Amino acid sequence: MDPRTFVVVGAGLCGATAVATLRSDGFDGRIVLIGAEELPPYERPPLSKEYLRGEDPLEQILVRTPEWYREQDVEARWSTHVTQLDARAREVVLAGGERVAFDAFLMATGGHNRKIEAPGSELPGVLNLRYVGDADRLRAAVAAGARVVCVGMGFIGAEVAASLRTMGCDVTVIEIFETALFRVLGGDIGRALEAIHRDHGVTMHFNDLVARFEGDGRLERVVTRGGRTVEADVAVVGIGTEPAVHLMAGTGLDQPGGVPVGSTMETSIPGVFAAGDVARHDHPVFGPIRVEHFDNALKMGQTVAHNMLGEGRVFDDPHWFWSDQYDAQIQMAGFAPTWDQMVVRGSLEDRSFCAFLLDAEGVLRSSVSISWPRDVRRSFQLIRQQVRPDPAALADPDVDLRRLVPDEG
Amino acid sequence: MTEPVKVGRADEIAEGEAKAFPVNGAEIAVSRVSGTLYAFSDICTHRGCNLSLGGEIDGTSITCECHGSTFDMTTGAVLEGPATEPVATFPVREENGDLLIEA
Repeated sequence: MDPRTFVVVGAGLCGATAVATLRSDGFDGRIVLIGAEELPPYERPPLSKEYLRGEDPLEQILVRTPEWYREQDVEARWSTHVTQLDARAREVVLAGGERVAFDAFLMATGGHNRKIEAPGSELPGVLNLRYVGDADRLRAAVAAGARVVCVGMGFIGAEVAASLRTMGCDVTVIEIFETALFRVLGGDIGRALEAIHRDHGVTMHFNDLVARFEGDGRLERVVTRGGRTVEADVAVVGIGTEPAVHLMAGTGLDQPGGVPVGSTMETSIPGVFAAGDVARHDHPVFGPIRVEHFDNALKMGQTVAHNMLGEGRVFDDPHWFWSDQYDAQIQMAGFAPTWDQMVVRGSLEDRSFCAFLLDAEGVLRSSVSISWPRDVRRSFQLIRQQVRPDPAALADPDVDLRRLVPDEG
Repeated sequence: MTEPVKVGRADEIAEGEAKAFPVNGAEIAVSRVSGTLYAFSDICTHRGCNLSLGGEIDGTSITCECHGSTFDMTTGAVLEGPATEPVATFPVREENGDLLIEA
């Protein structure tokens, strides 16, 4: 048996995937998986969709069955808080003082929801969404016909709005930017998504933000800076997350932008890794980025496990995610905070397209689709290899994107 | 021994594509790669999407359009998560132009 102990803190998709990969790679040493929640690792995307709507039960969203951890001889410690990484002693310190020594350590603690700075945010009826318990509370609070305000129209706000409309709620969105998902998708694609929500009867107020939540003992209305008053039974706040870096205090790695890691996800402390939402990863194509998506947590979890075993694999995944809203399927690959040219295959007006975002040099940086997912997947290699595709070929639905990839080697 | 079920015509399955058929209450996808037919459960074990609807075939693997789980069509094994359970596979053959599945 391998004499080493690997400790993973953070029992979400990333941590669970890392542990599973360690075992499938043949590591038979001690593995300790520590999570703050009382549940074994589960998938969070359904919390705003299938699980929230009551379509999928809890068992269906677990990453692995509860028994799996026993069968794989993983020391699973749920409901356990870690207060500190003692890098010098190479131990983690648990709440209560217990110490667990490690040979390699993975921090996969994810993030916290950003709190809204507005009076009345502590009123009953003002809810967040990150954990199973949050989804349970939200579902319990919204009988059909409930008046709900979604604060923020990023992915969480947009998905919650769609789910609650589907459940028969009266939904109003208050969003600081000019359209839906503006920061991620830009104006043109954001407005296509906005139109989908309008067609489904969501009221949206853009360029506005919450001034205060009001109510006598519980939420009754939301007042905006723009002077609007929206009567509400429930408000759901989805205004972003912050990486959960606190246990790195004292190491210099507790950066507000995430725990800095190199291309292989190792920190500046040898044998100490970070992956998933908490990591600010030096990506070989995109530069240092922190990504809060499911597939990234999964793929990073796999790769970091290999690297805990000493393989030194560079993580160069092009990043990919999806979002389902009503019957629209949004997918996106790559990373393009800004772009110089957008080439559309399909039709923005018909809300069926794949848009390709190119930088000033004509390099494909990102692709975004609504109900046109195939070409997002087929663009992965183009993004990873930083190809400069012919825009006319990108726009032509008859061109198979895989044929635009230069031969490797 | 299960009796083979005739589900359709073999020429319904183009090279590099997959199509699903109802067989004894199950949805079974049939694909053709380099001329060889493969039959497997069409239902992704991750969240239940239909693999034949938009699933990307690359060699003998198929990637679910919804969330990216990738299966080996020859064995049903998971090649890439988030799925953790394999899909069932079934014997399939072409006989006098008919597509026969044992399921």
